[in-house]
Amino acid sequence: MSRRQFLNDPEHVVPEALEGLVLAHPGLLRLNPEPAYVTRAKPATGKVALVSGGGSGHEPLHAGFVGTGMLDAAVPGAVFASPTALQVSAATTAVDTGQGVLQIVKNYTGDVLNFRIAAEIAGDEGAAVEQVLVDDDLASERADGEGPGRRGTAAVVVVEKLCGALAEQGAELPRLARFGREVVGDARSMGIALAAGAHPGERAPAWELADDEVELGVGIHGERGIGRRPYASADELTADLLDRLVAALGLGRGDGVFVVVNSLGATHGLELALVHRAVHRQLAGRGIEVARSLVGPYVTSLDMAGLSITLVRADDTRVALWDAPVRTPALTW
Amino acid sequence: MNGSDAREWMGRFFAAFDREQQTLTDLDRRTGDGDFGANLRSALGRARTALDATETATPGDVFDVVSTAFLNTGGTSGPLFGMWFRNLAKATRAPTVGVADLARGFTDGTSTVQRLGGAKPGDKTMVDAMAPAAEALAAATGGIHEALAAAAAAARSGAEATAELLAKRGRASYVGEVARGVLDPGAVAVALLVEAACG
Repeated sequence: MSRRQFLNDPEHVVPEALEGLVLAHPGLLRLNPEPAYVTRAKPATGKVALVSGGGSGHEPLHAGFVGTGMLDAAVPGAVFASPTALQVSAATTAVDTGQGVLQIVKNYTGDVLNFRIAAEIAGDEGAAVEQVLVDDDLASERADGEGPGRRGTAAVVVVEKLCGALAEQGAELPRLARFGREVVGDARSMGIALAAGAHPGERAPAWELADDEVELGVGIHGERGIGRRPYASADELTADLLDRLVAALGLGRGDGVFVVVNSLGATHGLELALVHRAVHRQLAGRGIEVARSLVGPYVTSLDMAGLSITLVRADDTRVALWDAPVRTPALTW
Repeated sequence: MNGSDAREWMGRFFAAFDREQQTLTDLDRRTGDGDFGANLRSALGRARTALDATETATPGDVFDVVSTAFLNTGGTSGPLFGMWFRNLAKATRAPTVGVADLARGFTDGTSTVQRLGGAKPGDKTMVDAMAPAAEALAAATGGIHEALAAAAAAARSGAEATAELLAKRGRASYVGEVARGVLDPGAVAVALLVEAACG
């Protein structure tokens, strides 16, 4: 079945959407059109600046998380493609106020390379830059450790929130980077899809699934997962993902976690809430406490029908950072 | 080599690329995802436009403009070429530069590309032409024309030798044996670049 989209010209999707986002939040965001990046409308001073970015198609990531308590700048690439090194270095120098810049980078070859180059260029221009590489996707883990490593997915939102709060408290760059890496080490995610998404301008989804199967271990770029499994109740599908995540993090009785139940684009809030109930009950059954949760579309993959579950170890320090004020288009409390 | 020599070098490189673009794209289709030719074309198009619009005095000024155009390109090969030119620019800030300056730029550029891209000689990447070209320049004892001719020959034979290699990095590493017998398009592009220096 052919799928239609709201579209003018597929080539202009990203700039038109960025303009629309910033127009919706004039008090929060400002757009630098060329090279393209989004900053806070009121730049922060006297703190380490946080910069993230990556391909578009994952909205509200990353521009939706620019604001007090999270990012200082977000750098969008084309749909599912890394921003260029010059975009990233321009954003990095623009938000540096002398305290240095923490770049939060999802682990993909293009993103890693372009952010590394940007860090060197910004470094030549006098900015101190550190990077936190987010690699939470359990499905892309290889036992032999070969290849590019685990992909970065929805845990990036937790990393941006917690590091953002710590930066607002005045933490210095090396400490922020160390803290961010610790959070990443304690985070794992896994995705599951009921239907693939379609690229802007394409009328058909990238792949088809039979009615009685789901795709397990999907990433956020429309690629196939690690395999199919039979379609089942939400409770059963949740258990399949949770078993793997709990084992990977070595969680047990008495541990606390942050939970993100994240829509991959088309999955509705009603379904997400129902899955979150299952996560909560199943973790409680193992004696694991849910410290805080996010339930909604945070790191999407165009209009894919599916969701991901992220678990991140929580402790008192991290919970206090989580609860600290945040004011961005996609996350506010 | 002065600023206008460097401009002429880049002009010959653009022309060589226009001539060989289809070959490069075909090579990439057999080893990677087929976007190498298009990415390089857009970078070189930007470089050409920017050079036409920019006053440049030293060779370093010229290479800065080309570096910026590559760093504005998506993908991974474009930004790596951008860093290679950035190192060359840093080594060629004087109004007139000699073999030693070029050798330093080539050597620093190659090691930066290796460090950022993670490729070693023999991995079937652009490094397989960059590294021998840098070594030839560093070992050269004659004048600049002989030195560049030696570097060009070294880059070309390095590129030719990628046919027999099994890819360890870059896109071609995903297809393994399928790419055996096929030249690496990145290495071929480097050969075109260094050959263009010889006039």
